[in-house]
Amino acid sequence: MLLIRAIIRPEKKDDVLAELSNAGFNAATIVDVVGRGKQKGIRIGGMVYDEIPKVLILVAIENADREKVISTILATAKTGPEGTFGDGKIFVSSIDEVYTISKGTAGL
Amino acid sequence: MKKTGATKKALVSAGVAGFTAVKVSGRGRLVTDTARIEECRQKLLAMGVNEGSSQADTEQLVTSFLDESRFFPRRLFTILAHDEDVKRIVDAIIGANRTEHGIGDGTIFVMPVLDAVRVRTGESGEAAIW
Repeated sequence: MLLIRAIIRPEKKDDVLAELSNAGFNAATIVDVVGRGKQKGIRIGGMVYDEIPKVLILVAIENADREKVISTILATAKTGPEGTFGDGKIFVSSIDEVYTISKGTAGL
Repeated sequence: MKKTGATKKALVSAGVAGFTAVKVSGRGRLVTDTARIEECRQKLLAMGVNEGSSQADTEQLVTSFLDESRFFPRRLFTILAHDEDVKRIVDAIIGANRTEHGIGDGTIFVMPVLDAVRVRTGESGEAAIW
C-alpha cells in the first residue's frame, strides 16, 4: 500500500478532491499547511513571502492504483497548459500496514 | 465523540509518551449502508427542529450534512516507535477509538522511517526514537 501526499494550491483543493472521488478514491485527509518551494518563496518588491499557504492531501491507496491517482492529481492541480511555479508536489511513500479502527482489522 | 484525550491516555498507558498531533479534516470510503444513514438522519432531525427553525430548513441542513462529500474534523497523530512496539501501540489506539457506530472511527497507517536524529544530542537511529 502507498501513501500519496500531495501539496497543492488551496484554490485547487475542491477540484482535486472531486476528481479523486469520481475516480473512486473518496477517502482523504486534508491539512492546511504553509511552505515554500525551490523558487525560495515569492519576492514582490523588497518583500519575500516564503510561507505560502498550501493544502496537503493524504490518500492511502493500493499499489495498483498509483498511476491513476497520480495522473488525476497532476491533471487537476496544474494551472495553465504548461503549469506554473507553485502548483505543488506529489510524494509517494510506502505503508507497511493499515488498520481500520471501526473494524479492528488490518486492511484498507 | 471526542477521542483525543482517550487516545493520549491510552498511548501513555501503552508506554508511549511522545507524539505529534495535527488538526486535520478527513473522510473515509463512502458509506453504502442506507439503513445507517437513515438512522443518523432521524437522530439529527429530532435534534434540529425547534421553535427557531422550520422542518424544511432542518431537512435541507441535515441532507447536506450527510452528503457523501463532507469532510469531518479529525486528529492526526504521528508516533515514532521501535518495530517491536508497533503491535502494542496499534492495539492501544484501536482500543481507545473503536465505537459501536462501526463507521468513521479512523485509520492507522504503519510506515517505515529511514532515520531519526535527536537535535539536542545529535544521536541518530534507534537511540533517537525514545
